[in-house]
Amino acid sequence: MVFSSVLFLFRFLPIFMILYFATFLCPAARRMRNIILFLGSLFFYAWGEPVYVVLLLFSTFSDYAHGRVIDRVRNRKIAKVLLISSIIINLGVLGFFKYADFVIGIVNQVAGVQIPLLELPLPIGISFYTFQTMSYTIDVYRGKAKVQKNLLDFGVFVTMFPQLIAGPIVRYTDVQEDLRDRHESIEDVSYGCRRFCVGLAKKVLLANNLGLLWEETVALEPGNLSMLMAWVGILAYAFQIYFDFSGYSDMAIGLGAIMGFRFPENFNYPYISTSITEFWRRWHMSLGQWFRDYVYIPLGGNRKGAGRQMLNILLVWMLTGIWHGAGWNFLLWGLWFAFFLILEKILLGELLSYFPKIFGFCYTVLVVLSGWVIFAIEDVGSIFGYLRAMLGMGSMGIYDGQALYLVKEYGILLLVAAVASAPLGKLITSKLERSGKSGAIAARRLLEKIIPALLLLASIAYIVDASYNPFLYFRF
Amino acid sequence: MDEKSNAAVTVSFLALILLFFTITDLLDSDRLYSETENRMLATKPAFSWEAVWDGSYMEDYEAYVTDQFVARDTWVELKTRGDILMQKKEINGVYLAKDDYLIEQHKPGNISQEQVDKKVALLEKLVDKYGAKVMLVPTADNILTDKLPFQAVYYDQRAFLNQVADAIGEENLIDVYHTLKEHSDEAIYYRTDHHWTSLGAYYGYLEWNKYMGGTAIETFNISGMMAVTEEFLGTLHSKINLPHEADSIQIFPETLHHYPTITYDFGTRTHSYYEKKYLDTKNKYGYFLDDNHAFIEIETGYRRGRELVLIKDSYANCLVPLLANHYDKIYVVDLRYYNGTLAGLIDGYFTPQTDVLVLYDCIHFIEDFQYY
Repeated sequence: MVFSSVLFLFRFLPIFMILYFATFLCPAARRMRNIILFLGSLFFYAWGEPVYVVLLLFSTFSDYAHGRVIDRVRNRKIAKVLLISSIIINLGVLGFFKYADFVIGIVNQVAGVQIPLLELPLPIGISFYTFQTMSYTIDVYRGKAKVQKNLLDFGVFVTMFPQLIAGPIVRYTDVQEDLRDRHESIEDVSYGCRRFCVGLAKKVLLANNLGLLWEETVALEPGNLSMLMAWVGILAYAFQIYFDFSGYSDMAIGLGAIMGFRFPENFNYPYISTSITEFWRRWHMSLGQWFRDYVYIPLGGNRKGAGRQMLNILLVWMLTGIWHGAGWNFLLWGLWFAFFLILEKILLGELLSYFPKIFGFCYTVLVVLSGWVIFAIEDVGSIFGYLRAMLGMGSMGIYDGQALYLVKEYGILLLVAAVASAPLGKLITSKLERSGKSGAIAARRLLEKIIPALLLLASIAYIVDASYNPFLYFRF
Repeated sequence: MDEKSNAAVTVSFLALILLFFTITDLLDSDRLYSETENRMLATKPAFSWEAVWDGSYMEDYEAYVTDQFVARDTWVELKTRGDILMQKKEINGVYLAKDDYLIEQHKPGNISQEQVDKKVALLEKLVDKYGAKVMLVPTADNILTDKLPFQAVYYDQRAFLNQVADAIGEENLIDVYHTLKEHSDEAIYYRTDHHWTSLGAYYGYLEWNKYMGGTAIETFNISGMMAVTEEFLGTLHSKINLPHEADSIQIFPETLHHYPTITYDFGTRTHSYYEKKYLDTKNKYGYFLDDNHAFIEIETGYRRGRELVLIKDSYANCLVPLLANHYDKIYVVDLRYYNGTLAGLIDGYFTPQTDVLVLYDCIHFIEDFQYY
């Protein structure tokens, strides 16, 4: 089930929330909260994955059991064996469902054999939940997280529907207290509702409509792209994936807040970055932090000399790349960023600091947009065709009629998207907040009701007439 | 008001919006058909464990809930208004063109050369075997190009017609592209529907007549055309679904003096090309030849010594009354609804006195032309 659907908004969500908050009517029923959340989440997942829900439960139970035993045998050699066993199981599940065909394809090509592909559909959210459960076991091993003895509470951590299928990657330590004892406040519920509406609008009003422009672009062969078309197309894609993904995170964080959970932030206005290093601190933050804490730092991070650090960056970004999908283009995408991150470490970062920020911004935009070409187009040959068109080296020249038409058709939407990806709303609310005048407070209170409501109504209209409502993370 | 109460008001307000539509939706009864969208809506799927297991039950259920959502038409209208607010000129595959015209969009990318080649090959066979003549009518986007939005794309039907002419021989193609272009400032297409008007069909008829040797016996008078309704909002309007100035459906009153005997699908028999009952429905174009039928047999009441087998789509429906006076009998086949073999059908009626005419609009020809 996806959040941006009639079914979720007008069936699942109201029924779930009524049941959930009914437990507040008497104190004895409060323990029921987690049961309702757990069963609701399983229903939510099984609606889209009636078979793979078993895999989700297996993964949950496996790490629950590993955590329990590791806690028992702490400080003994066997604890490490169990940690490795947990990692192998998690990566094994992920590897089997996500990467088996990719590897078979490589083997077939290199060895010239004909091993048949498995062609298994990828279980939704598998990359998110395996990373979450893995982080739990590692943190228990490291003594950073307390072991969870209650299977239900642990099940809630893994399966909780707000963050189950598209992140953020909530770590056990983020929510370990909330799982048992969370204090829902009406302010949090209000914040959560508003955040959800904003996220929904980002996904439905901006991302889906910009996606149509990108669809128009990729419908053309790279050789038939004019320079203008290529730039407009990839710009649309950049906005689409940002508003889609960050919209999903907003909805997740909002739903979490309604129930008293504090999920980590996942996006912090990435498109205002002035370097690639900064971009990756602002883009899909929960994934970046995961790789930092569980791969980069254990490999030595920057503590083992510059050479080793470069190697670590390279490795982490190759992994980041293929985490997004089993394909050469994703690997290439990771390497593309690794190259610029390393370059910034040794030379470019300092160089940029001598220039006005606008230079860094333009450089970042160029690298990120070219990066999205690599990310969005799976066929490596077409990637180069597309990049050639962006450089004006295609056969269609600088611009063509179709590009002009589409610029006119989507110009305003692109403008709205550009404004929405800058922290303007945040600026206005904090200005109103700080002024402290009663008029400013009244204005803020009014706006925080009207704007989410209008966004919600407009989103419903676009969902009901949904000819185009893709789920972009089916490869993650 | 303190922050707590303020938050409570916000939560109640947003929750009430969701609850209001949830409850009204649950109370709302299901519809089978959407007249404004002109399509069947999804209905409640039957429950079975197999359907749950393979996920199809959930998919169907989701389509059902979305299609049957309360006040669906109003939401769709709201979306369209949103698109217009964003200055979009293309909505649901329809261009909002100049002079209040809605023009159906046909993107070049959606039509493959392979598909075109296949259809043209089918056509060639008919021409070779029966000496069929072919009239493929360009759609409005190719003729009313001045009305299209700035730089709007369209599938080039001139190039397509040239390919057809090359394949079947120019002498077998009744090319109406040029004549329609010449009259493009007249009301030859409906503003809210994808069909040509009776006037457009009349220019097509003149071209056909010229091609057949100029044997016209009957003259039709443009200035005498008669409106049968002024309230026609056609298929393109359905896709936009905003208030729009209605079209008028006009006919040549001369055709009312004919006394044809028309048999639909070997069953119902009438004596008029026109069915008034459609004028009270959304589908007013159905007025011509009782909408769509697999097979129609028309005894025109005239004695001209010739017969016609007409293989057509709905573009032909308003042209048939103009052709009638040239033939004793006209057999009309709509391949989209006809289940038998075409050769079997034609052979059953074919004599040395029989003409065969294929009449489609270019797009429906490419999309739908198919026989066995």
